[in-house]
Amino acid sequence: MSFTEDSQNSAPGSAQAKLGGARKAPEPGQNAAKRLQTELMQLMTSPAPGVSAFPSADGNLLSWRATIEGPDDTPYSGLTFKLSFEFPSNYPYAPPTVLFRTPIYHPNVDFSGRICLDILKDKWTAAYNIQTVLLSLQSLLGEPNNSSPLNGEAAELWDKDPALFKTKVMDRHKDVEDD
Amino acid sequence: MPAAVASQWRDRQQRVFQSVFQTNATPPSTSSSAFTDPGHQQQQTHPGHGHIFHASGNPHQATAAQPLFPPPAPPAAEDHQAAYDRAWHVVTAHIALPASATADDSFGSTLAADSQQPQDFHDAFALLANPRSLLPRAARTDDILAWHVRQVRAHFTQHVIPLLKGCVVDDVGVEDEGESGDEYQGNRGKRSRTTERRGNHYERHMVVVMSSIRTLEAALRLYFYGLNQLLAGFARLVDVAPEVAKDAEVLNARFRRDLHALVSSSVSDGLLKSIRAVLARLAGTVLGIPSQEEHGEGPARPVAPGPEDLRVQAARERLIELVQQLHNVGLAGERFQVLFAEVMDAMMSAFVTGAYAGVWSAPDTRSFATVMDTVSRSASMSVASPCIISLEGWVENHFARLSFEVLTCISANAQGPLPVSLADLKTYQSLALGRLAALRIQELFDIVLAWPASRPALDDLRATITTAARRKQLTDGFSRALQRRLLHPGCSTLEILQTYISIIRALHALDPSKVLLGRVEPGLRLYLCQREDAVRVVVSGLLASPEEMRAARKDKDTWKQQKTGQSQRDDATHPRRRGRDAGPFTTPGPSSARTPRTTTKPITPEPEQVSSNDKANHHYPTKLVELALLLNEPHTKPASSQAVVDSDLDWNDMSWLPDPIDAGVNYKRPRSEDVIGTLISALGSPDVFIKEFAACVAERLLAGEATRVFDQELRVLELLKRRFGEGMLQGCDVMIRDVVDSRKVDGFIRREQRRKLAAAVATPGRGAEEGEGGMEYHARILSRLFWPGLEREHFLLPPAVVEQQKRYEEGYEGLKSRRKLTWLNQMGQARVELELADRTLTVDCTPVEATVVYAFQGDEGDGEPAAPVQKSADELYELLQMDEDLITAALQFWAARGVLRRVGGANSNTYVVTETLTQTTSATSNDAEPTATATADEAMQEDDAAAAGAAAKQPAMSAKERERREVYWRYIQGMLTNASASMPLAQMAMMMKMLIADGFPWSNEELQDFLGEKVAAGEMEVVGGKYRLVKK
Repeated sequence: MSFTEDSQNSAPGSAQAKLGGARKAPEPGQNAAKRLQTELMQLMTSPAPGVSAFPSADGNLLSWRATIEGPDDTPYSGLTFKLSFEFPSNYPYAPPTVLFRTPIYHPNVDFSGRICLDILKDKWTAAYNIQTVLLSLQSLLGEPNNSSPLNGEAAELWDKDPALFKTKVMDRHKDVEDD
Repeated sequence: MPAAVASQWRDRQQRVFQSVFQTNATPPSTSSSAFTDPGHQQQQTHPGHGHIFHASGNPHQATAAQPLFPPPAPPAAEDHQAAYDRAWHVVTAHIALPASATADDSFGSTLAADSQQPQDFHDAFALLANPRSLLPRAARTDDILAWHVRQVRAHFTQHVIPLLKGCVVDDVGVEDEGESGDEYQGNRGKRSRTTERRGNHYERHMVVVMSSIRTLEAALRLYFYGLNQLLAGFARLVDVAPEVAKDAEVLNARFRRDLHALVSSSVSDGLLKSIRAVLARLAGTVLGIPSQEEHGEGPARPVAPGPEDLRVQAARERLIELVQQLHNVGLAGERFQVLFAEVMDAMMSAFVTGAYAGVWSAPDTRSFATVMDTVSRSASMSVASPCIISLEGWVENHFARLSFEVLTCISANAQGPLPVSLADLKTYQSLALGRLAALRIQELFDIVLAWPASRPALDDLRATITTAARRKQLTDGFSRALQRRLLHPGCSTLEILQTYISIIRALHALDPSKVLLGRVEPGLRLYLCQREDAVRVVVSGLLASPEEMRAARKDKDTWKQQKTGQSQRDDATHPRRRGRDAGPFTTPGPSSARTPRTTTKPITPEPEQVSSNDKANHHYPTKLVELALLLNEPHTKPASSQAVVDSDLDWNDMSWLPDPIDAGVNYKRPRSEDVIGTLISALGSPDVFIKEFAACVAERLLAGEATRVFDQELRVLELLKRRFGEGMLQGCDVMIRDVVDSRKVDGFIRREQRRKLAAAVATPGRGAEEGEGGMEYHARILSRLFWPGLEREHFLLPPAVVEQQKRYEEGYEGLKSRRKLTWLNQMGQARVELELADRTLTVDCTPVEATVVYAFQGDEGDGEPAAPVQKSADELYELLQMDEDLITAALQFWAARGVLRRVGGANSNTYVVTETLTQTTSATSNDAEPTATATADEAMQEDDAAAAGAAAKQPAMSAKERERREVYWRYIQGMLTNASASMPLAQMAMMMKMLIADGFPWSNEELQDFLGEKVAAGEMEVVGGKYRLVKK
């Protein structure tokens, strides 16, 4: 017949254990590896269609490999592109170095795979992550920035001769093997 | 004429030989075939000889023959030359070596037959020895001695070496099979399998050696016979022509030296191997190191033999005799000395590792009696360790003695300096100690684990690590062992810390300067930083309650008793194996997580194992009580800090030592082992430690029942204050004061309330209600700024509680004006009494759980049987405004206790009160009549919830598991898409472990099963042991 409550006096530990939802996520940006681990978890739990990424097989968290599938309704439809990400140790305060490992014929990508994309250069902020970069690159495939091309010929052909562009894309594309 | 006689004699001899030995292997008796006279005839009579001579000509013979084919001598010299040649022929025929190459006896008998020299030999010899005066015109002369040496060489090459090969050859097969049998230590592993075949291994080697020796002896006898003939000839000439006489001694020695060089340079590897085996066996017996052949089962420990051991004496005599023989035949050359050194080296290693591995102390005098018997008193230097004393005694009385005896046998001149000097003895001893040090260094980790039973082993080590190099070796080796055996995920933080404590104490005992400890520590500290619970373990260990301490102490005592009891039993049952198996000497192996010593022989499961398991059972899962014990030991109080400060200036300090040479620049001599201090400082910055300490203390202060006294906390607090200063621990002070104050305030407020209540009894209506629904309500008042982890969680408490809170607040504000209470509803404890249809139960729970179950309270329909209360999580959320997670958790909590029951399928979150237990069992029938509802309190029920709880949990678990597997599958897909198209299982497991932030709990086998399912589902394939995704 008595409802005895001894409020306020509880072990903080046990109370915290109950508060499962209240646990704080590790602070992002404290160090690159931790952040990348978290990003990986996010990528895995909420994957975006057509892109994927994973640390390289040597176990170095600062070096990743990624895959983009060419979007439909673009010359790249049905093709798969491999990329490499190299993260600086102060990531995410500095952008990763991203390269196309698969040869690609694209106005903003040169023949050694370097990419001209503002968010990978001066427009980078710590709010970007691997997934956003990959999605940006995927959309770049469909909508190249022809005003500042790395590959002038491609930029010209993109507008003038889509059929020839497509042919060049197919000629240039070839699957790379793993290193 | 003499020439003719000689020729006759020679012919006869030839015939004798040929009748016995069919062929032809006779070497030419003359050095030349250019004789015109009988020599020439002889050549014709036995044309075969010349042929053989040329055919088998080896370099020696070729060069020997060369000078004898000069251009034709001048005619005037003809007869002189002829005389000389004849004389040459006579002499050479006389000392020519027999062609026999087989039976060694035949050498001897032939020689013994004609020991007296015929006259013509002397005449001819005189001519040969002194040709310049007697036959001045003989142009072609030669040195007869050189000739003899040449013929000996030829003979040796042609006949003796094949014989020696024959001695060895039949043993080669055995050698190849059991190669390692030669190395003393090598064959332990194969012992049992090869015992049979190897039974007579030693004997076979002995046979090889002895037959070789006999062959050589016979051959040498033969060669010396020739030499002696020549020397006798010279001796006769001393009177006649002193100028040509030569010193027999010198010649003899030179000849012997040449021969020995010849023999020793022609020794085959097989023979050396046999000699090594024989030496190893005999020396092993003399030195008390058992060989495998003698002890078929179980490795026996080497024990220095006593003086009365006949077997040892026999072996010693045999060995000395053998060495003497080897020396006589020239086999005791440089190669033998190297061999002997190697054998002795192996013996020393075998003795040290065999006799002392795992033996860390003498439990009683009996145990070491056999070893100690032989210890000479003089060996007791400054070191007191029994192992060292016995080892030095062994070196002095056995090792050095044997070396001395053997080396004396083979030393070139007996008058020279002693082969083994006192300085050598010291060298041997220091070598042996070095090996003991190496052994102990190797064992150090186990020694540390067994601390303090292993203290004598540390004494060994302390006495032997005298050089900086060895100290470095020790720290390096120990660090490696730590990495391998302790600092891996298999060890709990508790174990690591316990071992750390042992390390601190053991290394402090080993090296009070703490330099060694300092060098071992960094890796350990680095690793501990990764263990997030390390600080918590230490703090809770420090705060262990007296009961826990008592329990630990008792554990320790019983453990010790078991140990000693068991070792006594061991003594009784296995007197011979006492040393190895007795309790205190073995690694206690306190936990299976520690990697077992690779070198430890698997000990059959004996009571000891059981006892340590027992220990693990009720000792290890608890806390790091060692710290609390240490804290309570009297000597942890700072011993006269005055003296410590002045220690550098204390010139009367007789125990002063200079700083160790390998100390760093900022080295500061520590005062005591200070386990707690070292441990705390190892855990990183004081801030971290204090924060954790505060959290831990807060937890304990709040958890304890109201009347508890916080002795232990205060004591630890005092200790930490000394270390970190008052300021940093102010928060903890405040916390303790808060709790104490709360009691006073609580008591006061409740008195006030009772007083009011008593006054209110006059007004009946209200008083009755309060008396009935009233509950005990206590509060603790915490100072917001000083308590860690105080966060408010919002939800609505039951009205009755809110009422109590309000009144309490009033009381408090009356007591302390201008202060306000903020209630932390989620903290605290509640005792709930639940009355259900068929049972009543009392549960201690958290306020959250109490609140949730209170919501299920039936409406106050007294006497009316109502349907069981049913509520969904969403309704509760609206009602209580509580976090959904908390609601779910609380519902599950009550469901697990059988108070609530989930209705409407696995995915619904609607719960109903389980009024009677029968309902639980027949979960489907909801229509059972609820006879009585809860009254003012909660509905309640007993613990039968197991079934319902489990049923509710099962689908939830597997849903979670499914989700997890889904995430893992994405990881694997991502890995195989991007990182590498195909990977082996182990690499995948490793990457998953590394990359998943929350850890990857699967074992390789589980991952393999998982991948197997995927392969079966056609999503993956295995190619060449690697997994890859199936391309679509």
